Amino acid sequence: MDSQIHKIHQQLMNKDITCTALIQEKLDLLKPNTYHSVNTLLDDLALELAAKVDAKITKGESIGLLEGIPFGIKDVYMVQGTPTTASSDLLKNYKSAYTATAIQKLLDAGAIPLVKENCDSFGHGSSSENTIFGAVKNAINPDLVAGGSSGGSAVNVAKEYTIFSIGGDTGGSVRQPAGYNHVYGLKPTYGRISRYGLMAYASSTDCVGPIAKSIEDIRIVLNVMSGKDAKDQTTYASSEISKASLNTSNGIKTVGYFKNFIENDAIDRKIKEDFLAAIEKIKSKGIAVKELNFFESETLVSTYYTLAMAETASNLSRLDGTNYGNRIESDNLKETYAVTRSENFSEETKRRIVGGNQVLSQGFSDEIYLKGLALRDTISENFKNDFEEVDIILSPVTPNTPPKIGESLKNPHAMYLSDAYTVGFSLGQLPTLTIPQGTETGLQITAAKNNDELVLKFANFLKDTI
Amino acid sequence: MSKIMTVDILSSIKGAQPSEAVNKLFDVIKNAQPTNNNSFNNNHNNCVSLDNLRDDVVIETSAIEKQIIIENFPKSKNNYLVVSKVIEE
Repeated sequence: MDSQIHKIHQQLMNKDITCTALIQEKLDLLKPNTYHSVNTLLDDLALELAAKVDAKITKGESIGLLEGIPFGIKDVYMVQGTPTTASSDLLKNYKSAYTATAIQKLLDAGAIPLVKENCDSFGHGSSSENTIFGAVKNAINPDLVAGGSSGGSAVNVAKEYTIFSIGGDTGGSVRQPAGYNHVYGLKPTYGRISRYGLMAYASSTDCVGPIAKSIEDIRIVLNVMSGKDAKDQTTYASSEISKASLNTSNGIKTVGYFKNFIENDAIDRKIKEDFLAAIEKIKSKGIAVKELNFFESETLVSTYYTLAMAETASNLSRLDGTNYGNRIESDNLKETYAVTRSENFSEETKRRIVGGNQVLSQGFSDEIYLKGLALRDTISENFKNDFEEVDIILSPVTPNTPPKIGESLKNPHAMYLSDAYTVGFSLGQLPTLTIPQGTETGLQITAAKNNDELVLKFANFLKDTI
Repeated sequence: MSKIMTVDILSSIKGAQPSEAVNKLFDVIKNAQPTNNNSFNNNHNNCVSLDNLRDDVVIETSAIEKQIIIENFPKSKNNYLVVSKVIEE
């Protein structure tokens, strides 16, 4: 699909549509939707902003590319004055006092926020079922899960309720639902976009990630949100990715793939066949393909979850009804904390907090947590070596197709394993893009750290190749 | 208070027990062999250099931000937000 942002920009400039009509049309689609993709509709704010855009156009003033473009926001981002619930009971009445840097940059560029989107509570899940707003339904087949944790964001883009949405990716939370709903979803290099105002899940892997229907729209939104931010000292300065730079695949001579991702029993037969067919098409274009060896999936998943749980136990310790959250009074302060947290967290969130406290506690930290950190270093080292041999790593997004709604909740271990192909790149803090091509749940394109441009470039090349 | 705390106390979650699904993940880590056993020997961290720390300046909170904070914590006494008493043990 061509860029929706460019198309709407032209329509607004040519006065083919008014911004108010466009926003109203999208709100009318979002309001009655049965996919459970909406937590809060920002209708008053959106219409007020749309009127301002229309006034500028009427006066003959020019507007920026993103001005008037409707977008959605995963309900884990602070947007001043709007409810930010993280799809949880604990924060169901919480209102953001400030705005996340990434979102502020989009607002400054004139984009119009329509909706706070449903997701797994605090990003805890791979199906968007762990939410107080009802399981998000898959855009292609509503009997299936939308994927998680940014399920609402992916569905809204897939159904064209929003032109783009901002999800959050920790272990695959943008890439996996993008794959399940046949749209593009990018996890940029860690630190390229400020995390300030994104509710912390696992701080060392959390990334702001755009979801859209075209590579060009991903590029536009990525450029606007990127940059060093004094409020997040893990951010770094990055250069803008130009449109022209994506039109050539020069510089991509060798593509690698992990043999053990493909040659194992856990992968769906059709996904494997389709992936290998895509590899053959790439070869036929004169690009060398190299098989790579990597950690087996269970080690990747276990390393990721061990570290992510440790970080989430620490990050969510502030949610006790005193500092933040829906307080439930009890006999004394300690009891109040315990009752508040017991009643308000989802089962999955509690499982992760308890797991995190286990690995951080005396007697376990050396054996599990520190070893997990050492494994992460080895994984990063492996990636570094791989990218001396290949320019791009290609992989399926998931080993299997989306499960039916309800199935993941019965088997948490199986849900953790559904992230097998996404979590490794998160641990390496590498830029990775899901494209809606190649297999039933898409393909992932990964490059070395800070090489987000190469990822988009290769995606553009694959658009016409497979 | 005992120095050894159970996970339900550590997590402030009543009756919380370690889960079988999560323990399976930990077992994999226990049996894995990293090539580098010293996790502090890496150069790919995201620390900020001392030269690059942000200035220590006080920024006044905006009126709307203050108002929203008050809305999030509706209890007050003599115009002050109510702060819970400190645990004394």
